[in-house]
Amino acid sequence: MIEVEHLSKTYGSTTAIQDITFGAQPGEILGFLGPNGAGKTTTMRILAGYLPASEGTARVAGYDVHTDSMAVRQRIGYLPESPPLYPDMTVQGFLNFVAKIKGVPADLRQKRADIAMDHCGLTDKRKVLIRKLSKGYRQRVGIAQAIIHDPPVIILDEPTVGLDPRQINEVRQLIKGLAGSHTIILSTHILPEVSMTCDRVTIINRGQVVATDTPDNLTTRLSGESAYELEVKGDVDRAQRLLSELAPVRQVSLLGPEHLPEYHHRLRVSADADRALGAIMSAALINAGLELHELRRQQATLEDVFLNLTTTEPATGATAPPEALTELPTVEPTPEESET
Amino acid sequence: MTLLFKNILAIYQRELQSYFASPLPYIIAAVFWLLGGFFLVAILLGPQGILAQAAMADQAVQMGMPPSPPFDVAYEFNKAYVGLLGSLSMFVLPMLSMGLYADERKQGTLELLATSPVTNWAVALGKLLAVVSFYLAMVLPLMVCQSIALGAATPPTGSGVFLLSHLGLVLLAASVLALGMFISSLTESTVLAAIMTFALILLLWLVDAVAQGLPGVIGSAIAHLSLLKHFTDFTEGIFDTGGLVLFLSFIGLGLYLTAQSIETLRFQRS
Repeated sequence: MIEVEHLSKTYGSTTAIQDITFGAQPGEILGFLGPNGAGKTTTMRILAGYLPASEGTARVAGYDVHTDSMAVRQRIGYLPESPPLYPDMTVQGFLNFVAKIKGVPADLRQKRADIAMDHCGLTDKRKVLIRKLSKGYRQRVGIAQAIIHDPPVIILDEPTVGLDPRQINEVRQLIKGLAGSHTIILSTHILPEVSMTCDRVTIINRGQVVATDTPDNLTTRLSGESAYELEVKGDVDRAQRLLSELAPVRQVSLLGPEHLPEYHHRLRVSADADRALGAIMSAALINAGLELHELRRQQATLEDVFLNLTTTEPATGATAPPEALTELPTVEPTPEESET
Repeated sequence: MTLLFKNILAIYQRELQSYFASPLPYIIAAVFWLLGGFFLVAILLGPQGILAQAAMADQAVQMGMPPSPPFDVAYEFNKAYVGLLGSLSMFVLPMLSMGLYADERKQGTLELLATSPVTNWAVALGKLLAVVSFYLAMVLPLMVCQSIALGAATPPTGSGVFLLSHLGLVLLAASVLALGMFISSLTESTVLAAIMTFALILLLWLVDAVAQGLPGVIGSAIAHLSLLKHFTDFTEGIFDTGGLVLFLSFIGLGLYLTAQSIETLRFQRS
């Protein structure tokens, strides 16, 4: 439904995006994730036909966004970075106007406007001037104008910006509800949004695609290496030696003794992924007569994937292979197993 | 074709609606009507007014002076008054055209229009029609007042010159608005758009002055291109196809430049 191939955009001497390739299947929600200034908005604008690309092609619903601009415009709903609203119109008046210029037949306009307002929770604000709406409501009107003509492809540039947590949740539910019959591409720099709403994620950094996969696959990609944290009491040297001898273990390091009772030590073990390693380690330690007070596995989150992929300097400008980036800078601990 | 018409209509309606939502157009119209009404009275009844001049001419004849050329009060009044409305409009038109695109750019709604299945032409035409309609609504009440005054003329005058002069007025306004719309599409600042449009109007006056001052072929060549010269012809009841073509060309030029300017805007936007 959306095919982007080798897309580049330069503004004068600055390169906004460079050789971007990704795609979205019909009915899919594709997340476009990247830090601020990564080129998300530029890509969205090119897809919507607002900006011409410097190089490469982008096709939406089978039509080239540049050469078949009108055909594409009829088939997309687009929420720009800042919602395009006329402050002196009422919500209903504005939606009616958008329906008109999007070519919704006169007899369907009222119905489509009602549906869009209902979806976006705007029904009780229909007679209010947009000027008087709060930022969250304006954002919702922006979303409503993008879906009013029931387009097959919906392009949302940071749809949840400026909303409060409850509204964010509502919008995510709304987006999920639209999937299936619509192909949606949404850009965001908020990670949970992607893991909650999107079927697939394209991560972009400095104008280049660094990864495209499902949120689950992206997280498991990093789980090729897993890390454990252990708290033992007794002879720490012996514990270290014992653990190092285990097959999957790569490295054992002693962490600082902060907040620990006397004779307690904290160890950090990094190892190849092995689901049974927790059990093996605890058995080894207990059999050796050491006390194991805590054992927990640390699982990479999408956040780590994102940080990994976007904070590493790409060598000589080429896309850095994700395999080379598996060193975790910080890992949020996820308690999984613990024994005392 | 009907789709294109519907799009133009949608833009037209939205634009026209926006005049009722903002206080500025009301103020502009109020000032225009106030000044227009004041000058209507002043030109007709003032100490140096048309009626006073006619009375003086009559007196001169009665006192045995050689008769001056015949003095058509209704015609002179119409010419003076519509000419004045033209000058007055020159101060008002920049304020009408300044927001046409500058506001769209500022609000980000240009991105909505540019990604909707509407051509730049349709948007520009819809907007121009709307702003010309608004101008027409401003001129109409003054036309009514003027026609009441003209109705008192003996012998009764035909409405031909009256209507022709107002057609010239609206054509002049539409030409200036079309160019003002183009200027408005160049900037995000309405104030800057207004100032630049006014500068353009000064240029039009300058062209007119140069055309009158220069003798010979060059002078008449410039005069052919002067909007104000042709407007003056219309107010004098001279209908010239060349003038009509010139006005329509300026309107077309304004529309074309606007559409192109929006198109290039997308190419240079950073």
